[in-house]
Amino acid sequence: MSAKPKAVQKPALAHLFWWFMFSQGGLFAAVLLPVHIVVQGILGPLGIVPVVDRHYDTWISILGNPIVKLYLLVLISLPFFHFAHRLRYLLVDLGVPAAKTVPAQAGFYGAAVVVTLLTIYVLFTTAPISLG
Amino acid sequence: MSAETETSSRVATRTYKPAMPAGWWLRKGHYFWYMVREFTALPLALWLLWLLYEIQRAGRGPSGYYPPSSTPFVVFSVICLLFALYHSITFLRLAGVILHFKVMDKPVPSGLVVASQFGAWLVASIVIGAVLIGFGR
Repeated sequence: MSAKPKAVQKPALAHLFWWFMFSQGGLFAAVLLPVHIVVQGILGPLGIVPVVDRHYDTWISILGNPIVKLYLLVLISLPFFHFAHRLRYLLVDLGVPAAKTVPAQAGFYGAAVVVTLLTIYVLFTTAPISLG
Repeated sequence: MSAETETSSRVATRTYKPAMPAGWWLRKGHYFWYMVREFTALPLALWLLWLLYEIQRAGRGPSGYYPPSSTPFVVFSVICLLFALYHSITFLRLAGVILHFKVMDKPVPSGLVVASQFGAWLVASIVIGAVLIGFGR
């Protein structure tokens, strides 16, 4: 007979959440980001193809679309949860063990939350929602 | 006996401190590319912050908005693209290791899982590219 109390197994929900955000952020950055950089960052500025952000009227019009707003929120904010983890461990690997501490975790993942809130603010204040 | 106890207690309280020299990741190509993979986060974060700024600038009205056309911006985008491609390739290739499916009780080969990820990337790129260009003028 053991006097030890039975260990209660609790699901690590916080762990699950941050790993989910890390993996999804990495996936969205991998699948969505390169084409944006090619089209909006290279082909558009070089004048090779017409791009939606080259003129005010086309840009503000598409930014008003609620589906586009939701898409841009996912595209911009989710990868930051991936980046936060990557950059924190880059610091650890470069010899900064302080990056493993709880305040560092709060700082890095908190920054991802701040970017998310900022993105929501910008998307809702830039162009009024329109389905046209 | 007492000397032995002393030695074992001293051994038990010693802490292992791994010593990594500052430039450990420059020693082998494999280590270097691992660090590059972690570093990709920085240029990608900067490019996304630029995109957010580009969206915010549209709120200034027609007279205040101008699209980026400078050479430094294109160079910045080209550099970010190289890191973005490295992130995409390394991240999507991992799917073959992480994702395990069974179809008709047979495991799906990892090569097929990876191919499906790259296929999804291609389809998404074509659709997004078509929207970005198609709605332009």
